[in-house]
Amino acid sequence: MKLSGFKYLANQGIENIWKNKMMAFATFCVLLISLLLVGGSALFYVNMNSMILGLGNQNEVAVYLDPSTTQQRVDEINLELQKMDNIDTVEYISKEEAYKRMQNQISQGKAIFDYIDGYEFMPDGFSVTVIDNDTIEDTTAKIAQISEVQSASSSLQVAEFLRELRRVVSLIAVAVIVALAAVSMIMISNTTKASVFARREEIQIMKYVGATNAFIRTPFFVEGMVTGFFAGAGAFFITWAVYRSVFRILMEQGTLMRAFGVGSIIPFNKIQLWVALAYLVIGALVGALGSVVSTRRHIDV
Amino acid sequence: MVELQNVSVTYSSGVDALNNVSLKINDGDFAFVVGSSGAGKSTMIKLLLKEIDATSGVVTVNGYNLNKLKKRKIPEFRRTLGFVFQDFRLIPSMTVYENIAFVLRVIDAPLKYIRKRVPYVISLVGLHAKTNSYPDELSGGEKQRVAIARALVNDPQLIIADEPTGNIDPELSYEIVELLKGINDQGTTILMVTHEHDLVRHFGGRIINITGGEIVFDEVISGTSDDILPEEELAQTMAQVSGISTDTSRIAIPAPPVTSTEDALIDEVIAAITGADQDGGV
Ligand SMILES: Nc1ncnc2c1ncn2[C@@H]1O[C@H](COP(=O)(O)OP(=O)(O)OP(=O)(O)O)[C@@H](O)[C@H]1O
Ligand SMILES: [Mg+2]
Repeated sequence: MKLSGFKYLANQGIENIWKNKMMAFATFCVLLISLLLVGGSALFYVNMNSMILGLGNQNEVAVYLDPSTTQQRVDEINLELQKMDNIDTVEYISKEEAYKRMQNQISQGKAIFDYIDGYEFMPDGFSVTVIDNDTIEDTTAKIAQISEVQSASSSLQVAEFLRELRRVVSLIAVAVIVALAAVSMIMISNTTKASVFARREEIQIMKYVGATNAFIRTPFFVEGMVTGFFAGAGAFFITWAVYRSVFRILMEQGTLMRAFGVGSIIPFNKIQLWVALAYLVIGALVGALGSVVSTRRHIDV
Repeated sequence: MVELQNVSVTYSSGVDALNNVSLKINDGDFAFVVGSSGAGKSTMIKLLLKEIDATSGVVTVNGYNLNKLKKRKIPEFRRTLGFVFQDFRLIPSMTVYENIAFVLRVIDAPLKYIRKRVPYVISLVGLHAKTNSYPDELSGGEKQRVAIARALVNDPQLIIADEPTGNIDPELSYEIVELLKGINDQGTTILMVTHEHDLVRHFGGRIINITGGEIVFDEVISGTSDDILPEEELAQTMAQVSGISTDTSRIAIPAPPVTSTEDALIDEVIAAITGADQDGGV
């Protein structure tokens, strides 16, 4: 096909949107709603995930050494820890430091410390953070193998619980998104089918004058793509507006909400590029395919 | 060129629409196909457009063996013919110009050529003033003229017309056939199905009568607009042409514009024949 031929067909596609305003608008709405449903669920899931991960900043392994460990050996262990797999940061906590922290933590019971003389009874230790919280147990076990290490412990139950929570949330999210996507496909396919059905005679006439399937489908492709693209743009702006106001409201709730991990909600400007891209690409693709696939039944004459 | 060799068509419903039909229409011919309702005329047309396939027999159109024609090749084949249907089949969302130009766009004709050729065929059918109108804004006769312009715009070897005058005034029918005749004079083969025996009588030419899925008559007769046949011979032919049709009301359609005393005579003849249901002189 020559370029002029393609230009003609692309123009036809755009013109067809205008000529079939009602059907194009119906397709636009259905695509918009579908994109919002699926996109909204995906964003909800991403944020849930981020919140759970935020709660799970318990990716810390408390390492205590035998009190008799020499300073030189402490330094060596520090290096050793840093070289281990899955280790993010290693912070040395001296006896003094540990003592102070303890005092802070148990501020109510400050009086107790008045009776305890100094910090000599405290062991040297490290606060180690891991990269992957899911394998924190393995890492903890490895650390415990170092002979001077008296104890290495992570808040296992919390990690375990959060991991399980994330798994369940992911499963539900995938199920919901798949279900919504399926419902959307049915809605979209019915709408495009109706839209194409209204023009089945036109398609038949085109076939009678010797138009190839590609020739007939190209305008439908362009039409579906443009409609889908606009639906994607619409979905983006709606998402943008809703997301920002929800984000603001939650942030204004302050500390209470933060306790539930709300502090980990992703600001929209961090993901807007991806959201826009996903909406536009998926909208255009689904719109184009839906419209082209629907011509199939009428094109075989 | 159109050739049917022992062609039969049985619809999936079990109806035998065509029964062992053999027929040859040469390049440059003008042939009328007549026959009562349900006789199988449209079935034959659908066969020639490869809308349906023959249950048995061989169909050849413009050198394409339609039995063996691959799906992929159908568009290429259809570009060698034009069609005109009773229901016009214009694309409602396109103007007169676009409906006609579309045929040329399909074959990727140069834009320059389209811009010259389309106005030319529009003027041929006398619709210059309606170039930018939409089909909904046209009368039946005008729509059919657009359809004819579309059928001839890419210079097809063959134009197939299934009751092109079926939805328009009887008087206008003559214009339409006149138009097709003119196209035929330029060398295009034309196959036209019609119910209007007046038209057939008026124009004459090759007449093919299909009845019950079979060809029962296939001969060339002179039209009343041409030199008249010897009376007796004409009466005989007319009996064969229209004898099958019991629809006498059709024959009572107002006389064609080009009336003559001979014409009135033939009317009488036919009335006598069909009324008596037997052939014979006056
Ligand atoms: N798609 C179909 N399926 C089943 N039977 C059909 C189909 N189309 C036509 N027929 C039958 O085949 C026979 C021939 O029909 P056809 O349309 O060829 O008649 P026709 O000669 O064109 O009649 P008319 O003058 O009324 O247009 C009829 O009995 C009709 O009922
Ligand atoms: Mg018919």
